[in-house]
Amino acid sequence: MASCTLETQTAQSAEVNPVAWLLRSLFPPSALLLPGAASAAYNFNFPEPVTPIARETLHIHNEFMLIITVLFVVVFAIMIYSMIKHRKSSGHAPAKFTGPTGALQWFWALIPFAILLFIDFVLMGIPAVQAIINMEDTQTKADMVLKVTGMQWKWQYEYPESGVKFISTLATPRDQISNAEAKGEHYLLEVDKPVVLPVGKKVRVLLTSTDVIHTWWVPQFGVKRDAIPGFLRETWVLIEKPGIYRGQCAELCGKDHGFMPVVVHAVPEPEYLAWVEAQKAEAKAAAGGADRTWSKDELLAEGKAVYEKVCAACHQPDGKGLPPAFPALAGSKVINAPLLDMNGKIVKDSHVDRVMHGKAGTAMQAFSASLSDVELAAVITYERNSFGNQMGDMIQPAQIKSLR
Amino acid sequence: MAPAFTGADLARRRAAARRLGWLLGAVVLVIYLIGLFIKR
Amino acid sequence: MSTATTHTAEHPAGEYHGGLLRWLTTTNHKDIGTMYLTFSLIMFFVGGLMILAVRAELFQPGLQLMKPEFFNQLIGVHALVMIFAALMPAATGFANWMLPLMIGAPDMALPRLNNWGFWLLPPAAILLTLPFTLALFGIGDGALATGWTFYAPLSVQGGMGVDFAILAVHILGISSIMGSINIIVTIFNMRAPGMTMMKLPLFAWGWLITAFLLIATLPVLAGAVTMLLTDRHFGTHFFDAAGGGDPILFQHLFWFFGHPEVYILLLPVWGLMPHVLSTFSRKPTYGYKAQVYSFIAIGLLSVVVWAHHFFTAGMPVPALVYFMFSTMAISLPLAVLFFCWIATMWKGAMTFETPMLFAVGFIVLFGIAGLTGLILADVAADAQYHHSYFVVAHFHYALFAGGIMGVMTGVYYWLPKWTGHMYSEKLGKLHFWLTVVSFNLTFLPQFFLGLAGMPRRIPDYALQFAEFNAISTVGAFVLGISQLLFAWNIWCCVRGGPKVDGQVWEGAEGLEWELSSPPPHHSWEIQPVVK
Repeated sequence: MASCTLETQTAQSAEVNPVAWLLRSLFPPSALLLPGAASAAYNFNFPEPVTPIARETLHIHNEFMLIITVLFVVVFAIMIYSMIKHRKSSGHAPAKFTGPTGALQWFWALIPFAILLFIDFVLMGIPAVQAIINMEDTQTKADMVLKVTGMQWKWQYEYPESGVKFISTLATPRDQISNAEAKGEHYLLEVDKPVVLPVGKKVRVLLTSTDVIHTWWVPQFGVKRDAIPGFLRETWVLIEKPGIYRGQCAELCGKDHGFMPVVVHAVPEPEYLAWVEAQKAEAKAAAGGADRTWSKDELLAEGKAVYEKVCAACHQPDGKGLPPAFPALAGSKVINAPLLDMNGKIVKDSHVDRVMHGKAGTAMQAFSASLSDVELAAVITYERNSFGNQMGDMIQPAQIKSLR
Repeated sequence: MAPAFTGADLARRRAAARRLGWLLGAVVLVIYLIGLFIKR
Repeated sequence: MSTATTHTAEHPAGEYHGGLLRWLTTTNHKDIGTMYLTFSLIMFFVGGLMILAVRAELFQPGLQLMKPEFFNQLIGVHALVMIFAALMPAATGFANWMLPLMIGAPDMALPRLNNWGFWLLPPAAILLTLPFTLALFGIGDGALATGWTFYAPLSVQGGMGVDFAILAVHILGISSIMGSINIIVTIFNMRAPGMTMMKLPLFAWGWLITAFLLIATLPVLAGAVTMLLTDRHFGTHFFDAAGGGDPILFQHLFWFFGHPEVYILLLPVWGLMPHVLSTFSRKPTYGYKAQVYSFIAIGLLSVVVWAHHFFTAGMPVPALVYFMFSTMAISLPLAVLFFCWIATMWKGAMTFETPMLFAVGFIVLFGIAGLTGLILADVAADAQYHHSYFVVAHFHYALFAGGIMGVMTGVYYWLPKWTGHMYSEKLGKLHFWLTVVSFNLTFLPQFFLGLAGMPRRIPDYALQFAEFNAISTVGAFVLGISQLLFAWNIWCCVRGGPKVDGQVWEGAEGLEWELSSPPPHHSWEIQPVVK
C-alpha cells in the first residue's frame, strides 16, 4: 500500500511545472505569508485536476510552459551575451552587416523559424487539436445531463431526467464581505445549496442564461463555458474523485459578478441517487403546497426567505434599492397599486406582471421561469406588506398557478 | 544645395493627398454601413 | 481653397496667435504633435489613478473602499482611457512630430484635418469620464460598468454611462480615422525626392500599417456600438435572442476591431525600436526588408484571428482549430522582428542611455507577452486561462511593457530633438529601473493568480488569492508613483537643460537628425537629399 501511494505521488510530481518548481524553491510559501491572512495553501500552478479534461489541460500547460521557458532563456541568453560582449566601453568596434550574407548565414538565420514552425504546428498544435476534439465531444457515452442557467447573480441547476431543479446562491454573510466579522475558510466560495454530481459518470452540462452572459467555471474540472441568454452551449465533466469543488462566474455580469460562486459536491453514485430521491420528495411536498390555501403569516415568512435569497442583492434587504439601476420597493408605485384587475387577470406592468415576467432591457428578469408558485405568491405578498408598504392584500399560490 | 520646395509642387502634392484622403474616408463610410447590416 | 492648401507654407515662422488661440487654431505638425503627447501624458495619469483605486480595493479580501458597481466602472473606463486616450494619442503625437522630419516633408499633408483630429479628443475624454461627476450630483448611476468590451446584453441593460461611452468611442474613432488618413496621404504624397517606399524609415512603415488597420477596423467598432445604441433606445434586436438577434454577434464585431487594435497600439512601437537599437548599437538596422514584410504579414493576420478572444463562448471544432492555428501563425512574423532586433544589437558598439535601457526592457518583457500569447492561443489550455488574471497579466505585458514602455523609449529618444535640451540621464535611469521592477512586481503575481483560478474583474476574492493580490497592489503603487519621475524629467527638459545639436545621439542616422534641435518652424523648406 505504502509503495503504491509513493508511486502516485511521484507520478503527480512529474507533472509539476518547472517554472513553478523554481519559483516555489525561490519563494517558499511561508516567506510570502502576510500577517492576518488565513490561508496558506496557494499555488504557482493549476489546482489539482479531477477530470480527464483538467488532467490533459494541466499536462499541455506544463509542456507549453516548459517550451516557452526554454525559448525565453535561449533567446535572451543570446541577447544578454551580446549586451555584455558588444559594448562600446569594452572597445568593441561596430560591425556593418544588415542581413545574412552567404548560404551559411542564411541557414542559421532561417533555422530558428523552422524550429518555431515545428513548435507551433507540430509540438503544440497536434496535442492541442486532439484536446479540442476531446473537449468538444460532449455527447459520446454521456451518462446524464445537467442544465445550468446563469442569472444575475446566482446559478440555477436542473436535472432533466429526474426533474430536480433549484437555485444556488452565495452563502457568505454580508457582514464578512463588509469586514464586520472574520472571514470563513471558504469566503465567497460557498453556496446555500451546492449542485450534486456522481463520480465516474460523464455529465453533459448544458448552459444558458436568463439575462446577461455568465461563465460557468470550476478550475479543477478544467472547463469554462459561457452561459448565453437565448442560446444553449455545452461542455462535459467526468469527476474522478469525490470531494467539494469550488469555482466562480468568470464573465463580468454586473454588480455582483464577484459573488456568484459555483460549488459542486461529487459523491459516489448510490449517495447521488439517494440525494435525487430526497430532492424529488421535497419537490413533491412543495408542489402539494401550491394547491392548498396559505395563511398570510405563512406567506410572509416564506416570502421573507425568498426575498433575501433572490431579490435582496438588487433591491437591498431594506427594500430601498440602488436607484436608478435597481428601483426601491419601499413606497414603489408599481407595488402600491391594485394586485389584479376586476376579472382576476394580470394588469400590464403591475407588481405581479413585473415579478413573473420581468422588465425587458433591465436586470429585472422573468421569475416565473425560476421560482415555484409558492415562492412567487409568497414573495409578492411579502413585498406588498413590508418596507412600509401596507397594501394588506395577498395572493395565493393557486392563483399564480392559474395565471402562468 | 537641393532646391527649395516650390509652391506649385506642394500644391500638387497636397491636392493628390486630399483626393486620396477623401477616397479613404469613403472606404471608412462603406465599411461602417456594411457593418450595420451584418447578420450572422 | 488654394490658400488653405499652402496655408502653413505661406505663414512665416513666428507669426503666431498668442496664448490659447494659437493652440486651438494651429496647423503646425509639431504643435499638434506636442498637444497629442501632452494630452496623452495627462490621460495616462488619469487612467493610472483609476486603476490605483482598483488595486487599493484589491489589496485585501473584503470590500473596503468602494461598491462593486463603482469598481466595475473604474476597470472599464481605465481600459478605455489607457487605450484610446493615452496610448493611441501618444503614437499619433509621435507620428505628427516625426513623420515630416523623417520623410523630408515641410508638414503633414492635411494640416487642418490634423488640427481637427486632435481637438476631438478632449471632448471625447470629457464624455467618457463625465458620468462619474454626474453621479456625484445624483444624476445617473455612473460611468460605463461593463468593462471596456461593452459585451451585450450587459451593456444593453446598463445605465446612461454606456451611452456616454458609445458617444465617446464614436468621437475617438473619428479622430483616429482622421489621423490615419492624414498619415497615409502624407507618407504617400509628401516624401522627399529619392525616398522610395523601401527607403522609408521603419517607424513610418509601422505607422502606415497601423493607419490601414485603423481604417479597416474602426468603422466596424463604430457600427457595433451604433447597433448597441439602437438596441438600447430604438427597439432593435441585433443582440437580443428574444428578437432574433445574437449576443455573440457583438463579440465578433467587437473583436474584429479589438484584436487588430493590439497591433494598432504596438506597430508604431515596433517601427520605432530598430531606430533606437541601431542608434545605440552604432550599427545599421538588421533585416530592413524582413521587418517591413513582417509588419505587413502581422497586419494581414491580425484581421483574421479575432475569435480567439472568446473561445469559451462555444463554436464548432473547425472554427476553434482555424482560429488557434491562425493565431499561432502570428508568432512567425513576430519572431522575425525579435530576431532582427537582437541581430541589430549583435556585434554593435552598445551604450545604454535611457532610451536603450527602455528598448531592451521592452524586448524582454514584450517577449513574455508574446510567449504567453502563444500558449493562450491553444484552445484547450485557454479554457483555463480565459477570463482569469492570467489574461490580465498577459495583456499588461503586451500593452504596458510593449506599448507604454515603447512610448517611453520614443519620448526619451526624441525629447532632445523636440526641445533642444538633454533630459536628466540620472533621473531617466532611475525611472527605468523603478518601472521595470515595480511592473514585474505588479503583474508577475497575476499570472499565478490566474493559474490558481482567480477570475478577472471581481472586486473581492477568496482568501487563497490574498498574498499575491497584496504584492500586486504594492507593486502597482510603486509603479504609479515612479511615473511622476517621468513627468518631472520631461517638464525639466522642456524648461531647460544642456543644449544639444541636431545630431543628438552619436550613432543616430536619418533625415530627422540633420535638422537643428529643436527643428525650425517649417520642418523642411529645402528638399533634403536622401542617401
